[in-house]
Amino acid sequence: MTIDTEPLKSVSDIERTTLMTLIPGRIAALFGGRRWRSLAPLAVLIVLCVLIAIANPNFIELRNLVRLANSAAVPLTLAMGLTFIILMGSIDLSVEGTLSVSAMVVVLLAANDANGNDYGWWAVLAAIAAGTVMGLISGLVQTMLRIPSFMATLGMWFIGLGLSVYMLGGSAIRLNDASIRDLALHRFLGLPLAVWVAVGAFALAAIIQYHTRLGRHILAIGGDEDVTKLSGVNVTRVRIAAFALAGFFFGIAGVLAAAQLGQSHAVIGDGRLFAAVTAVVVGGTALTGGEGGVVNTLIGVLIVTVLANGMILLGISPYIQQTVQGLMIIAAVALSLDRVRLKIVK
Amino acid sequence: MNEGFSIRQVFEGKWTQGAIPLVLLVALLLIIEIAAPGFLTGETLALLFANTAVLFILATGVTFAILLGGIDLSIQAVASLASVMLAQLLPSLGFAAFPVAILSGLAFGLLSGIVHVKLRVPSFVATLATGGVVTGLALWVSNGRAITIEEAGREKTAWINATVFGLPMVVLISAVIGIAAFLALRYTRFGRQAIAVGAGEPAAWAAGINVDRTKIIAFAASGMLAAIAGVVLAARLSSGSPVLANQLLLPAIAAVIVGGTAITGGLGGVARTAVGALIISIVRIGMTFVGVNIFLENMVFGAVLIAAVAITIDRSKIAVIK
Repeated sequence: MTIDTEPLKSVSDIERTTLMTLIPGRIAALFGGRRWRSLAPLAVLIVLCVLIAIANPNFIELRNLVRLANSAAVPLTLAMGLTFIILMGSIDLSVEGTLSVSAMVVVLLAANDANGNDYGWWAVLAAIAAGTVMGLISGLVQTMLRIPSFMATLGMWFIGLGLSVYMLGGSAIRLNDASIRDLALHRFLGLPLAVWVAVGAFALAAIIQYHTRLGRHILAIGGDEDVTKLSGVNVTRVRIAAFALAGFFFGIAGVLAAAQLGQSHAVIGDGRLFAAVTAVVVGGTALTGGEGGVVNTLIGVLIVTVLANGMILLGISPYIQQTVQGLMIIAAVALSLDRVRLKIVK
Repeated sequence: MNEGFSIRQVFEGKWTQGAIPLVLLVALLLIIEIAAPGFLTGETLALLFANTAVLFILATGVTFAILLGGIDLSIQAVASLASVMLAQLLPSLGFAAFPVAILSGLAFGLLSGIVHVKLRVPSFVATLATGGVVTGLALWVSNGRAITIEEAGREKTAWINATVFGLPMVVLISAVIGIAAFLALRYTRFGRQAIAVGAGEPAAWAAGINVDRTKIIAFAASGMLAAIAGVVLAARLSSGSPVLANQLLLPAIAAVIVGGTAITGGLGGVARTAVGALIISIVRIGMTFVGVNIFLENMVFGAVLIAAVAITIDRSKIAVIK
């Protein structure tokens, strides 16, 4: 059953919108309105690639593209997990904590230079399980203690970070297991295995979002939690499952990060949270939930990675790069978010 | 009105919910005093207040944004930029460096507000982005290095580190700011309108409140207070750096929420933030006092944070917990 609520919404929107706020909407309307706007992130990505390629042809060299794919692998895997949480209208700040726990587990259980363990790929499984458990706890804390995900996952961030620093004894520990290191070093069809793992994570996330009940329910909760609950969906269970799922992806990302760096240390997760949030948001997923998805996030991750890579190629001062990235976020979101339909922007 | 009714009213009343963070604060103080006697002395408490000052000023600023139902993720960047500007400009401008640094915060707060309101970008993203812009500027201005405030400059910042009537100056500064913010929220038109917008934006708009202006003022105030915090921090550490306040963003937000201000907006205030900031800093300092393993501190802090929010948050006003 579908009900077309568009006319109803547009009536109430006319009251709210002022001339100033309509300008981006009008620009978008010139190009065909909503359909254009949902394609805006893709357009931004293409324009960005073309501009950088014109300024520095090295950008489209195969070597650089491989480098690009490689540096997108961990952010993509992280952002896949985060997308589900943001689709629910929640936020997961435990990205860095969960990633560092997973990296810590894989390094300490596989062959390393600090203890005698050598469990090989069991260590990888354990690391992903550890990530999932972290997510599960976030979900349980959020739903059972009834505290906002912002605070629940902020607490889990500190707990995860503290746990990994404690277990690592505050130092960096090398990962010596050759088969796990191969994730970063071995290539298949010209791309490191880590990239293929990230592609696999994307495929899995896409299947979950578009072809499973869980994915549908997550989207429904983001759209309107009350209505979802009234429709008979067990919202609590979906929320816990979504947080566990996010932890699962963060766990995979932790293994990839440890394999790429060849070690784990206290700051392995630094800066990854805001990079992941930026990617999700720039891709066009609304922080209010219910809009967007993993395909948007894929484009968002590529925008952020291409921009970072391009700025290095163009020789932009590393100090200014954050400024450019900030302006980029504003531009991308101002263009792509379908804000005319959002009555309230918080 | 019979007695049973009034007792139930006491427990369900507003004031008990408001008092929970305060009770938690006192309980924490007592726990630490029992675990490590000697904590509750005038000297330690003065140190505690002095160490909380910067966190409290930052948290007061972000309280405005959270009360509106938004969030300000640029405060640590603005504070760091203010510290860099103060350290950079003190030799040439003298005391004029203080207002310049603080006004830079006001300007970037204003920018966040305008981007948020006029471009209709959610405040989470708008301030995340302006935070990136400001950090970039701070790195560029300082060439990516920490700038030490030299001897001549230290004479001009000495007043911030002075002690007045036995109280550190920073405590007095934060008290003045706290009282001013408290009065502004409670007794000015802007304050009431800010709370109204946070409680229900469509209703506030329908009642004729200029929602956009209220939001811009709130973000400008948040930016200015962040800059003041940055200036105080720079004076205390005798240095300015583009990453000086980076570790303070999340504790500041945590202080606001632990104090009992709803992250959805419309409920809370500066007094609650003061209690929240003290709770955060007591937990931090208390762990050192009690002797928690330094590697485990973050873990304990995280667990206490979750517990504190679980205890203090007022769920009656939040329909859906996201």
